[in-house]
Formats: sequence, C-alpha cells, structure tokens
Amino acid sequence: MDPKVDKKEVYRFSLMERIAHGTHGIAFVVLLFTGLAMILTSFQPAMKILGGINVTRDIHHIGGAVAVAIVVVGFVLEPKFRGWITYSLKFNKNDFEHIKGFPVELLGGHSPYPPQGRFNGGEKMNILLMFVSCVVIAITGFIIWFPAVFPQWLVQWSYPAHSGFALLLAAVFLMHFYLGVLHPDSNRALKGVITGWVSAKFAREHYQQWYDEVAEKEPERIREVK
Amino acid sequence: MAKKMLFIDTSLCTGCRACSVACKAWNELPAEKTRRLTSYQSQDRTTPTTWTYVSFHEIYEDGKMKWLMYKHQCYHCGEPACMKACSSDAIYKEEEGYVLIDHDKCIGCGYCVANCPWNVPKVDNTIKKARKCTGCIDRIKNGLLPACVATCQTGALSFGDRDEMMEKAKARLAEVKEKHPKANLYGDQFMGGTTYLYLLLDDPEVYGVPAKPSAPVSLTLWKDIIHPLGGIAAGAAGAVVVLGVLANALRGNYSKRLRDNAGVSSQSDGEGR
Repeated sequence: MDPKVDKKEVYRFSLMERIAHGTHGIAFVVLLFTGLAMILTSFQPAMKILGGINVTRDIHHIGGAVAVAIVVVGFVLEPKFRGWITYSLKFNKNDFEHIKGFPVELLGGHSPYPPQGRFNGGEKMNILLMFVSCVVIAITGFIIWFPAVFPQWLVQWSYPAHSGFALLLAAVFLMHFYLGVLHPDSNRALKGVITGWVSAKFAREHYQQWYDEVAEKEPERIREVK
Repeated sequence: MAKKMLFIDTSLCTGCRACSVACKAWNELPAEKTRRLTSYQSQDRTTPTTWTYVSFHEIYEDGKMKWLMYKHQCYHCGEPACMKACSSDAIYKEEEGYVLIDHDKCIGCGYCVANCPWNVPKVDNTIKKARKCTGCIDRIKNGLLPACVATCQTGALSFGDRDEMMEKAKARLAEVKEKHPKANLYGDQFMGGTTYLYLLLDDPEVYGVPAKPSAPVSLTLWKDIIHPLGGIAAGAAGAVVVLGVLANALRGNYSKRLRDNAGVSSQSDGEGR
C-alpha cells in the first residue's frame, strides 16, 4: 500500500449532495420528534417548548411538505444525488458479503470483506431503507393530513404504514448516527458530508473499488494534506 | 352507577326530529345551515355541532311507500375503536358505558374520525378538538333523562338500566316481528355491545348502516403489532449503539483514533487499521 495514502484526501461528495443530505437529515430529525409528539402522550409535555401541540403539528405538516420539496429539488438538480438511489439499487454479492461482516465492524472489530464501490453494502441498505420508507411516509402523511379528500380505508391503512415506516427509520437513523458520529473508525466519513473530503486511507479501507477508480480516472479529486 | 342503555324503537319513530333540536338546546350547539337531501331529510352526517339527526328511508312495497326512520348519534361502544385509535388518551369510558372525549387532552388529530365504523366523531376546526354525542352524561349523573329521550313524544326512545332495556327490547322485537318478519335488534352483537340499542324493521343495510361493524383491521395492526414492534426495533438499535460505544472503548479504538488525530502514526495491523 502506498505509504503516502495516509497524507491524502479524496473528494467524495459535491456541494449539492452535501446540502441535500444535510437538509434531509435536519428535516428527518425535526419530523421524527414532532411526529413522536403526536403518538406518544408522554412526549407531549416536551412539545410545550415549541409552543404546544398545535404548533408542533403545524411544524410537522409544513416541515414534511418542505422536506419533500427539498429532496425532490435535490433529485432534479443533482444527478449525483439521484445516483445515491440508482447505485444502491444495484445490490450484488459483494454487498451481501459486506453486510455479513457488519455486526463485527459495528462493535469495533474488523471482518474482511471484498472491495466495495462508491457505497458499501451497509450504506446501500441504509439508502434503500431510507428511500422506500420516505416515499411511503410522504404519501401516507399527505393522506393523513387531508383525510376528507381520500377514501376512509386508505386513511385507515395510512396510519400503520406511516408510523411503522417512521419507527423503522428511527432505528435506521440511530444506527446511521452511531456509525457516522460515534463509531471511532467509520465516523471519519462525517468530514465527507460536511466538507466533501474524506481521508484517502479511510476511503481505501471502506470503498477500495471506488477509490481505485477515482485514482485512475479522476486523479484531480485526490489532494495532499500537510 | 350500573350500566345504562338507550333503546331506540325505530318502529315508533315519526321522524319529527325533536331529539335533534333538544340535543342542540341542552348541549348549546348552534343551528347549522342545512339543505334538502331527500323529500324530508336535511342532514346525512354528524357534524361538530350536530350530534344527532334522523335519516328518512323511503321504501316502496306493492306500490305503497313506507318510511323507515333511523336516529344517528354515537353508539357508545363497549369496545370503542375511537378510544383505541386516539393518539392522546383523550377518549375514555364512564362506568355507565358512555364513551367521552376529554378536551383537555384531545389534540384534534382526527384518528377517531377515521376509525369509527359509523364515522360519528368530527373534528371542530375552530377549537381543534373532536366532538360527538356525550350521551348527556351530565344529565344522567344527576338523575335526569338524556335530552333526546326527555323530549321524544312517541316513546321511540327509552332509557334505563342495561338489563331492563335489553328485556324491553326483546319483548318489543317479539311483538314487532309478527308484522315485520325482518325486524332485528342492532347494537348488542358487535363492538363489545353498544350502549345505544336499535330495533330495526329491516336489515341494517336498508338504513345505510353496516350490518357487522367492527374495528378496522388496520387499527389492530397499527396499535397491537406495529407500535410494539417499532418500539422494540428502536430500542434494539439504541442498545446496539450503547454496546458499540462500550465495545469500541474497551478495544481502545477511541484512544487510538485520538492518537491518529494527533498525528502519531498508529501501529498498523497490515490493513491500515
């Protein structure tokens, strides 16, 4: 391995990608917490901070609409952001191999896996779960918001779908937060979604296939750091 | 107080709608602009300020028309779907069997509206609270008859202890059956037994109400399966986070990372880790 790789950084995410990821993340947290307030009675007193349950609900409704709009705009404007989904849909054997070793990685160990592409198996799973759930949550959320416009059975089935996928995403989000912020090795990725640059060493370890490709075809995306 | 019951003998109802007016008077509900829907009927649903109304069903038999009347209001179910659906524990049951909405807790989410088999509760958008028939619980607790019963001139409405009313209904059904073979009692066989019991002269569908009302399957799935499972999933994820942080700390991964950040080259295990 190139000893200099320690001193290098690779440009991983474009500005639009970072903005789309960041706004989606902020919207997700806001919507999760304001949504929980409407389902858990024990959570309702805490919503006094926001100005009571009615304000909370308005934030949830309008925030939901804005979040959908932002992500759709991000999708239209940035093909690379669309690529997060289309790339993740190409799920192959290598990705399963990566997910198999995941529990060990999660607890701070290392289990060998084949070289990964732009997103590794675990990330693909995260992106796909997020995408499918968000589509369901956005559609059912709209139905719950305007129940008078829709047939009653559709409104009734929207409730379990909306809160079911939201709770699933709450679990996914906890994992994502852990890996991105708390996990001492994988949180090197955090710099990538803030500045766009990640350490080349980290990129090689987690996305070797992608890194080698960039090094070969777009060497301008790799820079030296002092 | 013992369980109460309100018996609605539709065979005696003339559709005078005094019950609807008495309800508005006692509960201080403003009049609403109505429109003619059929020859006599002016309302076809409960609203935040109309808690009871009568529907008129014109049935033609042998070239003759007969009226079938149906007084709609909250049924005050034994196992209310609205109470299960409520997001805020605002719906509760009184010992008499009445299902009530606590407006201090209600947030007007409308989950009760969508899950009631008869679509009874309605959200009042000005106060953002769900409203419906209270069964005149304030009158009952003070030994008075419900407003609709007190005003009913034909004896179509009667109120009393549940067992007594059940017997009265069965006796009346036997009488009515001679002339109306399809007559039936509606209310005691579903939703845990409703507090409002009907004597119908024909099948429930003829009156436009479901023959076998039940809590929606989606409601059971939502409250009994998805919520507990979701709680477990989120809890498990939380546990993995705590475990992961602990495991990493024990393996010394955090201090290694700190050393890396300080620029001290770490011992590599051959994989750059």
